Formats: sequence, structure tokens, C-alpha cells
Amino acid sequence: MGKVYIIGKDAVPTSLKVGSGEQVDMTLVVLPGTSCRLDMDVEITGPDASVAISGLYVCGSDEKVGISVRLAHTSGGSISRQLFKGIVGGKARADFDGLIVVAQDAQKTEAYQSTHNLLLSGQAKADARPQLEIYADDVKCSHGATIGRLNEEEQFYMRSRGISLAEAKVLQMISFISPVIDTIADQSEREEVRSVIEGAIRDMVR
Amino acid sequence: MANDILLEIRNLHARVGEKEILKGVDLVIRKGEIHAVMGPNGAGKSTLSAVLAGKPQFEVTEGSITFLGQDLLAMTPEQRSWAGIFLSFQYPVEIPGVSITNFMKTAINCRREAEGKEPMKAAEFLKLLKEKMAFVQMKSEFSKREVNVGFSGGEKKRNEIFQMAMLDPVLSILDETDSGLDVDALRIVAAGVNSLHTPEKASIVITHYQRLLDYIVPDVVHVLKDGRIIKTAGRELVSQIEEKGYDSIVEA
Repeated sequence: MGKVYIIGKDAVPTSLKVGSGEQVDMTLVVLPGTSCRLDMDVEITGPDASVAISGLYVCGSDEKVGISVRLAHTSGGSISRQLFKGIVGGKARADFDGLIVVAQDAQKTEAYQSTHNLLLSGQAKADARPQLEIYADDVKCSHGATIGRLNEEEQFYMRSRGISLAEAKVLQMISFISPVIDTIADQSEREEVRSVIEGAIRDMVR
Repeated sequence: MANDILLEIRNLHARVGEKEILKGVDLVIRKGEIHAVMGPNGAGKSTLSAVLAGKPQFEVTEGSITFLGQDLLAMTPEQRSWAGIFLSFQYPVEIPGVSITNFMKTAINCRREAEGKEPMKAAEFLKLLKEKMAFVQMKSEFSKREVNVGFSGGEKKRNEIFQMAMLDPVLSILDETDSGLDVDALRIVAAGVNSLHTPEKASIVITHYQRLLDYIVPDVVHVLKDGRIIKTAGRELVSQIEEKGYDSIVEA
């Protein structure tokens, strides 16, 4: 479970070297109203290390959120997982760059990355550029990026049960973003982030 | 008696995109009645149920629907639900990340809010939830599962009847509820529908086959073909269709 960093409030360690047997687990949170440019550089230098980086951003007006993560496995036998999710509405713009490099000697590496964006308006924009550079041959790596809109079949189903359209959207957005909120280790911090995000989502559908 | 009328459909025309699917449907449903709507594939059965529930992709081009004296076509899908209409979906939709409990709580409290009532008390809600889960023979873990995600065909249909029991509608529309059900699930579903029925309520059972109508016995049977109701009769029509097929039904 991750240590939480509220972007714009907490200092994020942007350059990390993770040695043999070490564990890093962090959750980055970009709250509504925050524009940011975050460049992270992570290097895994020994075996049996584990790195988990999760991030979420909810931006509904004119924020500009830019996140890039360069994650290098220079030594084998370690694992990295990244999950980023964003809700982008209004005229906001979100860019995500994720580069995973697995060096030639870094055999038995596992590296996973996925990025999912939900676009709420025609003027909102989200870009995701996941990249893999793999020089070793015995690795498990995957990356994926999706950009979607709220599903109307789900909305009709919920409305047919008496859930108002606005409330249906709130449920959809909260369930979309929850997997990232759930990675926050500290319960009171987790619930605080959840309540701020829920409030922001409710404001966005109004 | 006119004040017994729950639902009155007059000359209903509806289309999806450029394609006209309903071409003048007339249907009157009174309190206490169970109507079966039968018909071959592509007749417009599912379109009729979607139009009644207010699915946005369907455009009504002509005609009217009156439900309990209100203009149904002027109402949103959620307003129709609040007024007492329930559609059991042929293909229930998966809602990832939303638990059955949260889904039903939101549904009930949205309706209460629309009625100017306070949200339901947690204890009262849980009692209702347990009671209705038992009603469709669902185990208690069921309430924690994500809506329809990974459900078998039978579980999905039982979930529909569970929601129907929770919402206690006046008019239930069962769209091909029998499709994909084994006999045991069919019995549970039919028993659920039958025990929810009262003289104040009504149901529309949309089906292809006789099978479900052995368990839910209709008062009136309609045959829908090419977007129009071509025949209306009593339950004896069901066995005629089963024996001789839809081609044997000619417009009266």
C-alpha cells in the first residue's frame, strides 16, 4: 500500500534509485484545480526490489496536468507496477508519458504499466504515450492505455432503476477512479482523498 | 372502467436511426392484468420495452403513451422508474466497480429524494435487502458483488427480479426474461414475478416461447409482427402459436 503525495502540497521524490530487496510504494494525487508538471526518474539497481507507483488526476476546468515517468530496470529479478487513472473534463488537458527501459542484463524483470483516461467533454484532452524499451529476452512486461467516455448503456440501466442521470455519472466516475484511491495505505488519508475526489466529481456533474 | 387503466398506448411509431420499427402499436393494460407480447424475431418486441422505459436511442415519431394519467413520453427514464415502471432487461448491463448494495441504495434514495423524503435508514435498507435477496434465493455475498459482473445468465435474471422486488413497481415489463435460463432459474424467476403481482399492478411479459407462460399465466396475449399488434386474444392463443407457429396467425 502506498504513501500518498498530494501534488502541489507534498514534495515528490522525483529521482529514485531502488536497490536490492527494497520496496517503494507511492500514490500520486492531483486534486482538481491543480496544474502540474511532474517528471519522475526511477532506476531499479538490484534484484528482489519492488516498485509500485499509482496516480490519479481529476481535472474539470482548465488545468494542465503533465506527468512523465521514466522507469529503468538496470538489474534483473525485480518487479515494477504502474497504474494511472484520470478524469478530464471542461477544457482541461492531461498528458502522460511512461517509458519503461529494461536493460540487457535485467533478466527475469516484471514491469507493468497501465494508463486510463475518462474524457467528460468535447474540449477536454488526454494523451497517453506508453513506451517499452526492452533489451533483455527473459522478461514479463506489458503496457496499456485507454481513453474512454462514460458508457451510456450503463447510464440507461441505472436510470431505469431510478438513479438520476447525475448520480449515475457520479457512480461511474467513482468506480473508475477507486482502484487508485484504494492503493493509499493510510486509512484516514485514503478516506480524506476519497471524500475530496467525490466532492469534486459531484461538482463536475452539476 | 376507465379508471382501471394503468397504461394506454395509442398508435405508437418508433424508430432507431432511419429504421422504423414500431408502426402503430395500440395497447391498453388495466390493473391486475398480465399481458404477454409474443412475436417472431425482429417484430419489435424489445423496441416496445425500450420505448416504455425511455431508452434515449429510440425515437418516438408518432402516437402517445399514458401511464397512470401521465404523459410517459415526456418523462426521463428515472422519472418513469419513480412513477412505477420497471423493465427487466433481456441483457442486463454490467456495472464494474459498483456493488449491488451501493447500486440499490442509490436507486432507492434517488427516488426518495424525488418524493421529498429523507434517505432510507441504514438498518431499514439492510433489512429490505436481506428479505428480497432471500426472495430470489441469493446468498448473502451477493450484495457485495459488482452489478452483473461475472454473473451467470441465471444470476443476471434473478438479479433483475431482485431489483424488481426492491423497487416494488406498478408495471413490470419482462423482456425475454426466460432467455438463457435453465428450468430451476426459470421457476425461481416466475415464482418471484407471480408473488409480486397484486390486483393493483400489472405485467407485460415479452417472450418468444410458451415456456415462461406455463409459469406466469397471462390474461391477454398479443402477437406483435412487423411493428404492429396483429392479434389479441386470451391465453389459448399461446398453444396455437406453439403448435402452428407465427405464420398461422393472420390479422383479424
